[in-house]
Amino acid sequence: MNRIKEIISALEQTANHPAKAVKASMQETGKKAVGCFPYYTPDEIIYAAGMLPVGLWGGQTDIKLADKYLQSFCCSIMRINVEQGMKGMYDFLSAVVIPTYCDTLKCICDNWQVAVPQTYLIPMVYPQHRKIAAGMIYLIDEYKRVQKEFETIAGKKITEKDLEDSIALYEDYRKTMQYFTALVSKYPITLNAKTRHLIIKAAYFMDKGLYTAKVKELMKELKKLPEEKLDGIKVVVTGILAETDALLDAFVQNQMVFVADDLAQESRQFRTCARSTGTALERLAYRIADHDGCSLLYDEEKKHGQLLIDLVRENHADGVVVCMMKFCNPEEFDYPIYKKELEAAGIPMLYLEIEQKMDSAEQIRTRIQSFAEMIK
Amino acid sequence: MDKNISSKQILNDMISRHYEEALEAKKSGELVAWATSIVPQELLETMDIKVVYPENHAAVLGARKDAPAFLKDAENNGYSTDLCSYARVNIGYMNLKESVAGNIPMPDFIFCCNNICNSVIKWYENLAREMRIPMILIDTPFNHTFNVPEHSIKYIRGQFDHAIGQLEQITGKKFDHDRFKEVMKISAETAKWWKKATALAAAQPSPFNGFDLFNYMAIIVCMRGKQEGLDLFKLWAEELQGKIDRGEGPWKDQKEKYRIMWDGIACWPHLADTSKILKKNGINMVTSTYPDSWTIVYDSDDLDAMARAYSSNYANRNLVYGTGNIVQIVKDFSLDGIIYHSNRSCKLMDFRQYEVQRQVQEQTGVASVIFDGDQTDPGAFSLAQYETRIQALMEMMEQRKKERLSRQ
Amino acid sequence: MFLGIDIGSSSSKAVIINTQLKILGKAVVNTGAGTQGPEKAVEAALREAGLSREEIKFSVVTGYGRITYDKADKQITEITCHARGAAYMMPGARTVIDIGGQDAKVIRLDKNGKVENFVMNEKCAAGTGRFLEVMARILDCGIENLSTLSDNANEEIIISNTCTVFAESEVISQLAAGAKRENVAKGAHKAVAKRVAGLGSRIGLTPDVVMTGGVALNKGVVAALEKEIGQKITVVENPQIIGAIGAALYALEISSKLQ
Repeated sequence: MNRIKEIISALEQTANHPAKAVKASMQETGKKAVGCFPYYTPDEIIYAAGMLPVGLWGGQTDIKLADKYLQSFCCSIMRINVEQGMKGMYDFLSAVVIPTYCDTLKCICDNWQVAVPQTYLIPMVYPQHRKIAAGMIYLIDEYKRVQKEFETIAGKKITEKDLEDSIALYEDYRKTMQYFTALVSKYPITLNAKTRHLIIKAAYFMDKGLYTAKVKELMKELKKLPEEKLDGIKVVVTGILAETDALLDAFVQNQMVFVADDLAQESRQFRTCARSTGTALERLAYRIADHDGCSLLYDEEKKHGQLLIDLVRENHADGVVVCMMKFCNPEEFDYPIYKKELEAAGIPMLYLEIEQKMDSAEQIRTRIQSFAEMIK
Repeated sequence: MDKNISSKQILNDMISRHYEEALEAKKSGELVAWATSIVPQELLETMDIKVVYPENHAAVLGARKDAPAFLKDAENNGYSTDLCSYARVNIGYMNLKESVAGNIPMPDFIFCCNNICNSVIKWYENLAREMRIPMILIDTPFNHTFNVPEHSIKYIRGQFDHAIGQLEQITGKKFDHDRFKEVMKISAETAKWWKKATALAAAQPSPFNGFDLFNYMAIIVCMRGKQEGLDLFKLWAEELQGKIDRGEGPWKDQKEKYRIMWDGIACWPHLADTSKILKKNGINMVTSTYPDSWTIVYDSDDLDAMARAYSSNYANRNLVYGTGNIVQIVKDFSLDGIIYHSNRSCKLMDFRQYEVQRQVQEQTGVASVIFDGDQTDPGAFSLAQYETRIQALMEMMEQRKKERLSRQ
Repeated sequence: MFLGIDIGSSSSKAVIINTQLKILGKAVVNTGAGTQGPEKAVEAALREAGLSREEIKFSVVTGYGRITYDKADKQITEITCHARGAAYMMPGARTVIDIGGQDAKVIRLDKNGKVENFVMNEKCAAGTGRFLEVMARILDCGIENLSTLSDNANEEIIISNTCTVFAESEVISQLAAGAKRENVAKGAHKAVAKRVAGLGSRIGLTPDVVMTGGVALNKGVVAALEKEIGQKITVVENPQIIGAIGAALYALEISSKLQ
């Protein structure tokens, strides 16, 4: 149990102190770091170049400088990323990749070069039409373009083997995380909502290879212990992210267990595996093509609702918690569609509007507690 | 064309017929499509499909004050008020299907191009799902570089091919590439005349009031590939030239004292109020970024050029292009000021507005103000704020005018 | 005997019931969380019931101040307690609309007063008592007189702004242009009703619809809300103590389960 506590504590520390963790990782590995904006970026290529991809998912910084560029109805992750960039908090990064999945991201791209000129920008445009050949060809061209950029920054050429090795490592990470999230229902007390989140989040601030080894070790140690029983409420959580402490603490206090998630910051990163055939860049491209049920990726069939229903059924969940990121248009568009489907399927839903900086923990707490009282 | 009928009358007639014919077509079992405002309509026109434009329709509903019922319906179904009000009005209309302001037929398929924003992808996804109809998407990657890159053009070309395949499947007809060439010719020509006509506002005084521009815009949206559209803009250009030759300004009962550009779309539910205040002060909106956005010009033999043209509108370009575009407009149209509409519905335009305003200010010295409004949601606009800001703009423009005169 | 305490942001309520579900004592004090209000309310309710603290077998606290209140046996949210209390007062109730000073809630309940679904607004002033306070201030009439003022309205004035801050300037402009205060008051009621009706439609408004919370005392808002939702609304007697009643009922229920 001590080893488990040690590993968890280290990962929680990493998740709670990203800058410190990344700098430590850079020292440990001797690698440069490249910031990666949400939602999907070519991390494998960055890693193949011998650099560390670092997730930039906002934070708890107060907005002051970013108001110069962005009105208040901009989602808090982006506003805070710009704020942190302007404050020099990303100065130690060799570059920042900004993919333009939504209109806000396009503007962030535009503003970044003026607002944070000291941090080199690599914009990327992933194809929305990703299930047709023309879309894949385009994406591979984009990958080739940014690959050159990464090579320049890293000062080394990326070989096909480098890419294949990197993909293998990332696929190992994805499989490992799939096992991890499935393990939560067996250890709902140790892997409570907050701990679970911090463990998953730590991946953004460490070398992926080292991170995966840590999670594997954690799972090995956990499985030595008997399964934990908790008379709690099993939920599937959906949204961009489910942070921070005030929110997660409320879930833990009300014994709500995250048996599965559909969060952009969490499972959406690792629930889809790469195909096993094709060149390295083809495999990366097709992984995006195969990824479904995400509000950021074109889907005229709107499979998001069915994905949530399947997650509920497979994990015997009692309900779905919607963590609606305030001002997130893509998520806001998906909601009415999957809401209808979940209601038709008789699945209870809790709707929470969240922002990165939530001034009132009380309101969130009341809603979560009321939902728990309702379901019990 | 009967010389005694003005382009304005023809315009109104064309709009009415546009909606009537679409409703008729639907009744008689013809296919009807809904499409976004800068869609490669050449593909639809070639297949002789009746197209209706939800954005145009939402604007009409907004202007005739019938938007609230549809906004409320969308909200009741869980649509956040943070979402584009055109989308909410249209999705509400999809449910309620009836408006005193005018109706459109329900579509058999929808055609979406995200050169205007990515929100339309989500909006149209929902339409496709709710109505269980096919969706055709042309994804024009955002141009973070100044020019449209080659691999984007290749991708768009590939999507044209795919779209043609989808159209053939939906209609059961073969795509006529000869007709396509004809349509491309007309479309490019219409766009040229649109540009010619709107460019005439550079004259001092301008022969038309910019809010009029928004009305003619409906035709460049919905009849770009039709001979009628082409003829209308030719006629309008003639009329405008005539007015310029006679020294006629935008209004009969007011002189043009200041020339401004309006950045963004109109506040449709408050059209009367917003234009009245400008006219009262002799402020004429001479142009906006919209004329260029619909100047979709290319050689009819060149599909690459067509692909590039559809990716080149203002909203799909980077900050350097955008700022440069407005700086050029300031010069070409001899502007005294700029009014930036911070449109609650349009994050793509809004979230670089502050920087655009600063850079244009720096490069041209022209006065400007930003005000809060919305294209179709009447609740997101404060007349008091608008009035105050326009007054502030007036004072700045007056001051600069005085300084200019004293320097001469 | 069983005690229910409801600690709001600006008031504290207490209710005592016996095993026959009879209300033995009740009290409302106009100070809330972080003050002596809760204790004063409990003491007043005890006095009315003729009981001492020791005779309380089980107590439940609810409301905004429930987390920091340490003298109760259990804390339950106001959503759950309001539903329970409303069902007790009005057995046919299936929807509870609660418009408070700072927030608004719509709760759907089953015949036993158990919550089936709920929706809340706590961030936006529009659709809460705060909006009416702003309007009352502009109209220079006390919040308690807003309803009587609107009784004499002869015209419908629409306040279209969904933002309270913008609505404020919209109303000032209208008054400056000569609009009658009575008509503006009525418009303010309609604006609140619209926001709340919109909130409610997200979960559906099943009859009987019942209203609680401070704003329920404003007949003008109730009438406007009835019109907006197209259904009859019954205002619960003593709307302010509904939450405390529900809490007391839960105190009884939990206590009997423990035996």
